[in-house]
Amino acid sequence: MLLETRGLTKHFGGLAAVTQLDMHVDQGEVVGLIGPNGAGKSTVFNLITGFIRPTAGTVLFDGEDITGRKPHAVAATGIGRTFQIASLFPDFTVLENVVASFYLFPRCGFWEALFNAPSYRRKEREIMRQAREVLQLVGLDEARDMPARNLPHGHQKVLNVARALAVKPRLLLLDEPVAGMTHDEIVFSLGVFEKVRAEGITILFVEHNLEFMSLCDRIIVLNFGQKIAEGTSDEVRRNEEVIQAYFGSEDAA
Amino acid sequence: MKTAGLTTVIVLLFALPLLVRQPYYIHTFIITLIYVILVSSLRLVALSGQVSVGHAAFMGIGAYFSAIISKEFGVTPWLTIPLGGLASMAVAVLVGFPFTRVRAIYFSMVSLFGGIMIVNLIRVAKRWTGAAGLAGIPPLTPIEIPGLVTITFLGQKVPHYYFTLLLTLVCLLCLHRLEHCRIGMTWKGVAQSHLVASSVGINEAGLRVLALAVGCFFAGIAGAWYAHYNLVVTPNTFGFLPSIFLVMYMLVGGRDRFAGPIVGTAILVMVPEFFRSLKEFAPLILGGIMVLVVFLMPRGIAGLFDQIGAHRGAPARKEAKNAA
Repeated sequence: MLLETRGLTKHFGGLAAVTQLDMHVDQGEVVGLIGPNGAGKSTVFNLITGFIRPTAGTVLFDGEDITGRKPHAVAATGIGRTFQIASLFPDFTVLENVVASFYLFPRCGFWEALFNAPSYRRKEREIMRQAREVLQLVGLDEARDMPARNLPHGHQKVLNVARALAVKPRLLLLDEPVAGMTHDEIVFSLGVFEKVRAEGITILFVEHNLEFMSLCDRIIVLNFGQKIAEGTSDEVRRNEEVIQAYFGSEDAA
Repeated sequence: MKTAGLTTVIVLLFALPLLVRQPYYIHTFIITLIYVILVSSLRLVALSGQVSVGHAAFMGIGAYFSAIISKEFGVTPWLTIPLGGLASMAVAVLVGFPFTRVRAIYFSMVSLFGGIMIVNLIRVAKRWTGAAGLAGIPPLTPIEIPGLVTITFLGQKVPHYYFTLLLTLVCLLCLHRLEHCRIGMTWKGVAQSHLVASSVGINEAGLRVLALAVGCFFAGIAGAWYAHYNLVVTPNTFGFLPSIFLVMYMLVGGRDRFAGPIVGTAILVMVPEFFRSLKEFAPLILGGIMVLVVFLMPRGIAGLFDQIGAHRGAPARKEAKNAA
């Protein structure tokens, strides 16, 4: 198991956002995390990546307990993530967004950077090469000199993925990566994720889009912070509890 | 073009004492240069998204530390000035960890009260600081190059001017380099989104402490240099109002541009000094300039070129380059 949560719980005051969640993601898998609005999907992401501290429970990554680590430390263990709202460095160009994201590999020291040492210049060249590679992978290399804020919404979301790839992740957490995209952009993104997967990177999605469901090996369904179903996309689609969570029960209707 | 302009300015600055003979004007230039270091170091802190409203207090730490060490222990100021920078940096690191737990306007608030506290501590430590002011600070010791020249500083404006100019150029060179290497890029990234920054492994709190520490090091150096030039320091020089002025110089000059603090300081320090007869109106004039700039040039005087460019619809590219 690459990622595992045990009894993961988060209370915001009296509200239980996530309750006793046990889930796992295996190496090489593509897993979808779905559920109605407010089910706690994004909270799970934030708990895994250290942006929120859990009330109880543990997060294990590759067998290592990473519960309560700071976000930057979690990133360093090999977990990349994107955010729901396209979030990037808006004042930077596309290329600068990725270059700035290559912070960990290779890591530049203060003094070598200040004095522009040969070792530093070598690292800078290395970063530039890798950044271009990532941009080519996601198909944004042509737009590299454009200010990121001027990119179309769909491309901004793809740029987020490119940024997340800069931490050389073994696990990529994508929070609604195609929300608000046009059909063409979705098809394009699907291609990007296939390529990412082919690189051997494990992916955990939060998504509503049905086309994405078929991309997933396995789907976990959350409702009111609890896991209500798990299985392949067909299994989940037929599940009574899932139908009820999404469309309401017959008595209520 | 840019290099030519820069060379001209530097040559002019070196020729200045030949053109302007009045000691009072030379004094004004020296003070202006010291404030250029200060405001530029404030801008470095601001690169990481935090506007400090207590920066003058860190100038004070450098000034008092260097003054007291050289006075009490008879150490040459040439040694205590860098120590003053280090002392200011040490305090910045110490307060930086709690201060940088908050961001943006909250950081400004915390830094404001931090600055006031530092100045109050200086007042309280009477035994060392003389409460209302510290006099009898040793001047820079003469530099002797055997068989060639002896440069003395006491009461000599011109050598002071040249050494201040050298110090300023060295400090600006360091600050410029820091901004344009990966460290500066990371600071700018942290300023744009601390969430995105930490998601790619950037210890954003640590980097903001670093920005504060480096900025305060240069502020400390500037303060220490000021102490051994002025030979008297008073706590008021480092209080709340001077800190506000530093921010104002930065904003009027333009915080997006490296030249901003230089332009802003040059104009706002020298204008009141050269119109001494209108001294009572100085706050009014400064306030007026501030209002004009905020309304007409929101990106400051140095940002004016970008503003014009943006109007012509041209260099979106250039804009992006500046942000980098």
